Amino acid sequence: MKAIYTKYKREILVFLATIILGVVFTVLNPNFLMWRTMLTIFQQMVLNGLLAVGIMFTILTGGIDLSIGCTFAIVGIAVANCCVRGMNPFLAIIIGLAVGVVLGAFNGFLVTNLKLQPFIATLGTMSLYRGIAYVVTGGAPVTNVPDSFRNIFNGQMPGGIRYYVIVMVVVFIIAHVILSKTRTGDYLYAVGGNEEAAKLSGVNVRKTKYIAYIASGACTAVAGLVMLASLGSAEATAGIGYETNAIAAAAIGGTSMAGGRGTALGTFFGALLLAVLKVGMVVINVDSFWQYVVTGLIIVAASYFEFMKGDLAAFAARHKKA
Amino acid sequence: MKKKVLAVLLATAMVFTLTACGSNGGSSNSKNDGGSSSSQTEESNEEPAGDAEESTDGTEEEPAEDAGSTGEFNPDQAEDAMTIEEVREKNGVEVPVDSGKKLGVVMKSLSNEFWRTLQEGYEQAAADTGLSIDIQATTDEGDETGQQTMTEALTTQGVDALLMSPISDSNLTSAVESANDADVLTVNVNDGLIAEANHYVGPNAYQNGQLAAEWISGKLGDEGQVAIVVGMAKAFAARERTAGFKDWVSDNNSKLEIVAEQNADWDRQKAKELANTWITQYPDLKAIFCNNDDMALGVVEAVEESNADILVVGVDGIGEAYESIRAGKLDATVDSFPFYMAQVAVECTLRSLAGQELPSAVATPQALIDSENVDTDAAEIINWTAPTYTK
Repeated sequence: MKAIYTKYKREILVFLATIILGVVFTVLNPNFLMWRTMLTIFQQMVLNGLLAVGIMFTILTGGIDLSIGCTFAIVGIAVANCCVRGMNPFLAIIIGLAVGVVLGAFNGFLVTNLKLQPFIATLGTMSLYRGIAYVVTGGAPVTNVPDSFRNIFNGQMPGGIRYYVIVMVVVFIIAHVILSKTRTGDYLYAVGGNEEAAKLSGVNVRKTKYIAYIASGACTAVAGLVMLASLGSAEATAGIGYETNAIAAAAIGGTSMAGGRGTALGTFFGALLLAVLKVGMVVINVDSFWQYVVTGLIIVAASYFEFMKGDLAAFAARHKKA
Repeated sequence: MKKKVLAVLLATAMVFTLTACGSNGGSSNSKNDGGSSSSQTEESNEEPAGDAEESTDGTEEEPAEDAGSTGEFNPDQAEDAMTIEEVREKNGVEVPVDSGKKLGVVMKSLSNEFWRTLQEGYEQAAADTGLSIDIQATTDEGDETGQQTMTEALTTQGVDALLMSPISDSNLTSAVESANDADVLTVNVNDGLIAEANHYVGPNAYQNGQLAAEWISGKLGDEGQVAIVVGMAKAFAARERTAGFKDWVSDNNSKLEIVAEQNADWDRQKAKELANTWITQYPDLKAIFCNNDDMALGVVEAVEESNADILVVGVDGIGEAYESIRAGKLDATVDSFPFYMAQVAVECTLRSLAGQELPSAVATPQALIDSENVDTDAAEIINWTAPTYTK
């Protein structure tokens, strides 16, 4: 028990905070505790969760991927165009994932081969990808995506759970396995923790970073597919500003912006907390501007805990002696 | 361990306090809406330079919404506002065209269908009048300084009039001041707003919300729960459309009950998620009014998924909204016909250049489109007669 707590204390804390938030919302409006509200929360964490787990891979290596909102839009547009032209939906999904991987790999190329700062490199591709989205569509949305594609993600299981919720859970499980059970996972943490040391111990830093950016692109592509299925249309302006929420979810879940620390489970709970907050605020009918204020405060508070962790441990140790 | 749990509890307490503040803030705002003082209204009705004296009398009319910002120019509430028909009646139908005049147009991003259609309207006007109209647009809707540079460049090139649709309410202020100094006629077309411009030409966003409220009330037999999806509040149109809707409900003692109002940043996905939450929370929700079509189309998806019987009304009249109405999904949209708006703007500019006296604000045609008139020709719906240009 104690061992589990020490290993996952950040995740448990975030989960507790989520539960407490839920209790607060339930007190303010008992309707919050309906099964349908729970379903809504899980549905609404999907996009942000997928984007967050993707961006977490890049943050783990000490990088960042600011272009995810734009990759998201491009994938949506590409797949929408394929589907509207009558392509087999599963083939279209593969193309969508491939687009995400290619765009992610290009970020990886900029960061590793050209040795650009990840922030600047992906700031550049953020504008580049958005521009491509505008050029391809001429600004007009791609509409009338057939149900054969939409039902793959948007269909419902008994109980009202949509398939895309399952898709998200599967992506998180894959991410968790990669990070905690494989050598690639160890390398990702090692590169983010101390790049020089990792290089000296024989880690292929370049390949590891490529993997991180490709993973980010792939997760973003899945998010783009879910968005397309859910809306039935794609537009060049989709996903503007989504990267900030994704970073927030990862940060709340305990991902260190300096790299080397963070888990898929933590990011999951970070995204869950933000979704609870988002839905809860609507349920108790709070002015949406307050949502920004509260989200901001929670991010600040979460990073403060991160900072305090060392201090608190030292403080507790001192007290025990006295 | 204990300390951390305590810290989490404290953080939650903080959130709780904040949300409580939030609800308070909301209700005090609505109080403001109801009984805004006339002094505030007076301030918020500052007119552009040319028509200053007309604005000083009478300040009551509809309560000024979002009265917080003082000195705000509000064309929807302008005392001397006219429709284009009234302008034609007052000054005669003939529009004098001086072939030596040059017009400059500054618009927002052409990636948006609305602005592309507006451009077509300008091109139509250029063809009809035989004047050269220099049309400039920014690459995206965030390039505020780029738009300022374009405006200044047009002034230096010696245009006689500038027709501008600024990205924000402030990014063209200095460019307009230098244009005014250079005796260039400045016309503000659609939003954002330029308080310093000589004339405003655009749809009445306030009336736009009223049209939507009236339609919903008619369809529902004037009772039932209604929710509003608002756009980014920095946009004048978002505030006015919402205010027009709400005021219609309160002014007509309507039994429509506005149960929720939230911002979705003009984003389709966010609007859909909002609607999803509302549909679970308000099983009796009967209608959702959205500040634009993009958000309305997102809400439509949420309504379709839940099989709920909810009316969805948008604003803008984009092509996709028309398609959706034809497909029986979206219920209505309020179209402000940018193609005709541009032609009205050029007509007003030419009248003003010829020395005719024009009001500070000219309201351009708009109409509610639903399944009944979705296939009717736009010119017929708004009863459009092309301007009579005399050269």
